[in-house]
Amino acid sequence: MQSITLTVNGKSYTRDVEPRMLLVDFIRNALGLTGTNIACDTSQCGACTIHMDGMAVKSCTVLAVQADGADITTIEGLATNGHLHPMQQAFWDQHGLQCGYCTPGMIMAAAKLVENNPGITEAEIRHGLEGNLCRCTGYQNIVKAVAQAAAAGS
Amino acid sequence: MMRAVGSTLSRVDVVDKVAGVAQYPGDIDLPGQLWMKVVFAGIPHAQINALNVDRARAAPGVVAVLTAADVPVNEYGLIIPDQPVLCGPGSTPTAAHVRWEADQIALVVAATKAQAEAAAQLIEVDYTPLPVITDPLAALAPDAPRIHANLPDNVLYSYRIRRGHMESAFAQADVIVESEYRTHAQEHAYLQPEAGLAFVRDDGRIEVIIAGQWMHEDRQQIAHALGLPEEQIVVRYPAIGGAFGGREDMSLQIVLALAAWKTGRPIKTIWSREESIVGHHKRHPFIFKAKWGATKAGKVVAAQMDVISDAGGYMYTSNKVLGNALVACLGPYDIPNVHVDARTVLTNNCPGGAFRGFGGPQGHFAAEMQMTKLAAALGMDPVELRLQNVLRDGALLPTQSVVPPGCTAAETLEEAARRGGWMQSADGRWQRAAHAPSIQSAAGPQASARQTSLDASRRRIATGVGIAVCYKNVGFSLGFPEHCYAKVELYGEAEIEKAVVSCLGADVGQGAHTAFLQIAADALNLPPERIELQVEHTDITGSSGSASASRLTFMAGHAIQGAAAGALQEWQHEERPARCEFVFHPRPTTMYDPETGVADPSVTYGYCAQYAEVAVDLDTGHVEVTRLVSVNDVGKAINPQLVEGQIEGAAAQAIGWTLLENFIQKDGRTLTPHLSNYLIPGVLDIADVIEPVILEIPDPQGPLGLRGMAEMPMIPTAPAIAAAIHNATGIWIDQLPIVPERMWTALQAQNGA
Repeated sequence: MQSITLTVNGKSYTRDVEPRMLLVDFIRNALGLTGTNIACDTSQCGACTIHMDGMAVKSCTVLAVQADGADITTIEGLATNGHLHPMQQAFWDQHGLQCGYCTPGMIMAAAKLVENNPGITEAEIRHGLEGNLCRCTGYQNIVKAVAQAAAAGS
Repeated sequence: MMRAVGSTLSRVDVVDKVAGVAQYPGDIDLPGQLWMKVVFAGIPHAQINALNVDRARAAPGVVAVLTAADVPVNEYGLIIPDQPVLCGPGSTPTAAHVRWEADQIALVVAATKAQAEAAAQLIEVDYTPLPVITDPLAALAPDAPRIHANLPDNVLYSYRIRRGHMESAFAQADVIVESEYRTHAQEHAYLQPEAGLAFVRDDGRIEVIIAGQWMHEDRQQIAHALGLPEEQIVVRYPAIGGAFGGREDMSLQIVLALAAWKTGRPIKTIWSREESIVGHHKRHPFIFKAKWGATKAGKVVAAQMDVISDAGGYMYTSNKVLGNALVACLGPYDIPNVHVDARTVLTNNCPGGAFRGFGGPQGHFAAEMQMTKLAAALGMDPVELRLQNVLRDGALLPTQSVVPPGCTAAETLEEAARRGGWMQSADGRWQRAAHAPSIQSAAGPQASARQTSLDASRRRIATGVGIAVCYKNVGFSLGFPEHCYAKVELYGEAEIEKAVVSCLGADVGQGAHTAFLQIAADALNLPPERIELQVEHTDITGSSGSASASRLTFMAGHAIQGAAAGALQEWQHEERPARCEFVFHPRPTTMYDPETGVADPSVTYGYCAQYAEVAVDLDTGHVEVTRLVSVNDVGKAINPQLVEGQIEGAAAQAIGWTLLENFIQKDGRTLTPHLSNYLIPGVLDIADVIEPVILEIPDPQGPLGLRGMAEMPMIPTAPAIAAAIHNATGIWIDQLPIVPERMWTALQAQNGA
């Protein structure tokens, strides 16, 4: 076991973890933040995407011990003061979800995409979401949602 | 007050889902829960002589190891109970027979997941391997090994249609097209892998928390296997992470309940993606041998089909899927002479079962390819040929019953054709300026067909267009006692302050609960915010049936309207609260006559036509859909935004099935158990030009005129794409999926390699 200290959604946690524990399992099981989903186990789907030190990462590709000292935001921490993040609002407005299982990862990936490229084009949105799978929507409304959030932020 | 029906009311679950607080089964924990590992056979065909679980039982943390001997009634199945809950000795005579690699043989229950998984490794199984059958044609051979002892020919089910006189009809035909088509298995790949919990409640009943499609059917199957009355079981659906037919059959429902019952402890499990892909059924692979004839004038006079589907090791819904394919393989056409023989055959492959379209995509691939080929052989426009033969109101189905009124195959096809550039000339005939199969080549005409460089400047792309149309039954067919419960309770004094609406149709992501709310608001003339939905578990009301067969909004719409009307009547009679529980029964249907196929098979149908444009890379065989117009007659769009979402999602699944998704099994074992080797479409694989088109021509039987619609847009895509590929390259691809290797091989053959 190894002790790690990290900040998740603005709150500091210190926990002992198995060196092999994945960050996604830490977030879900140790912290009980189940909005971050697991869907593929092989890093294809992006359902577990979170923000770590300012980057969108698939939390199944990171060990919990690698996150020692990190500042992490999960889907539960994206809204501020009870107000949805513009990307969450855009997924709502544009019906960018159906079953909703890919949605947290999709929103987290998209939020960082737009933050890093405020004038993002539709082609860049599509390219940027290549690592996030959705089986329900056919992606059309997801792309529209990201474009709406980008427009709202500019 | 704005009318709720027809508006894009927000999904009832949208805030929870964007905020990450929606709870799927795997997100739920119960105090004192144990973890259950389900052990698969791992061998596709074998007899289990002995199963030694002593070492597993003695392993650290293990609370119980359950085997066949622990299952009170060791059989289950949605249609017939032909599958053991757990395979192994000590139970029924047939339960020791493994017929599928993912047959479940033991349940290891331990304090932690790691302990359960470690203990599972200690189970010792003494197998006698049996010959593995993976080809349904080989399974039909007289000397083939039997998958089930009571089915000596491995034919699980068969249907036939006999209408008219084939010999004279073919003699009449000016052109005859004969082909063999093969369609492949498809994995549902819902993003949420199977997961669930079960526990014994304070009232002594067993509650199962799971993602399914039909909670009362789950309850029935759990109760049957446990030998308990249904009232002893409660099934609860939290948020469901997609289904598409893949949750219609049992996966974890029974075994979770069994483990909770046997241990008295809460039980939880979550399947890995690998366990999900290996462990649940797939879309049936089909083989169609087709012979169709038409006259020069454009009348299709005869259609002969031999149909075989691969059922895998158990029934699942194979007979029902076959029943759909029996008519789907003839397309939405009025063909006077028809001869179909259809069989679903046992093998040791992954079982075939429900998947969006339910035999429709497979059947229509064959039918619509035949129509496109007939048009080509006749030198006729493919839209004109279709419109000359399409089912219209008053026409007879191949089963010799009149098509239910409101048949709009022609209207959907005409709209798709218009959007694809067809025009109706003064004489009424439809035509499109011939698409010159253009080959765009940046490197000029000397570019070599054998060039292997992927240098974009030297790519040679051929473009083409194609069109197809379909119909699909709404509701369970062939004499099934279709029904749907709903309950409405009205609270208040002078005016209705609150309505509680109960209907237990599963919201698998399609937005059913939101549609329920809108229909209820409309029926009660109340704003949606004054309505509370109760939709979570089996105690609330009677069965609302399955979220499948494009039936739910249709059946639940009627049921909610009926309950609302009854409750309003009670309200007028000063009842407070006013209550009504209502059960809707659609018109009855009938089973196929075993000799002729004569039947009134389905309550009603939905219609969809699609126009596709493709770009074929002549050097790599990569096919890209560059435009897909999907025209759907939905009768009435209760929520247009949700309807469009269904159309777009179906388009993506259909493009995936046609061009990308390639479920591979070898010797009865799954070779593509991950999303890294079973590829589903990503955002770059899906045309950014999916055009969802909604028509609203009322179905006379539908509540508010609506038609079921969620499966239809999955159906015409493959034949529309294949027609476009032919238009682009002159090549008929009769086998799916049209992965680059298959396309490239065909291009090589064409080049006279």
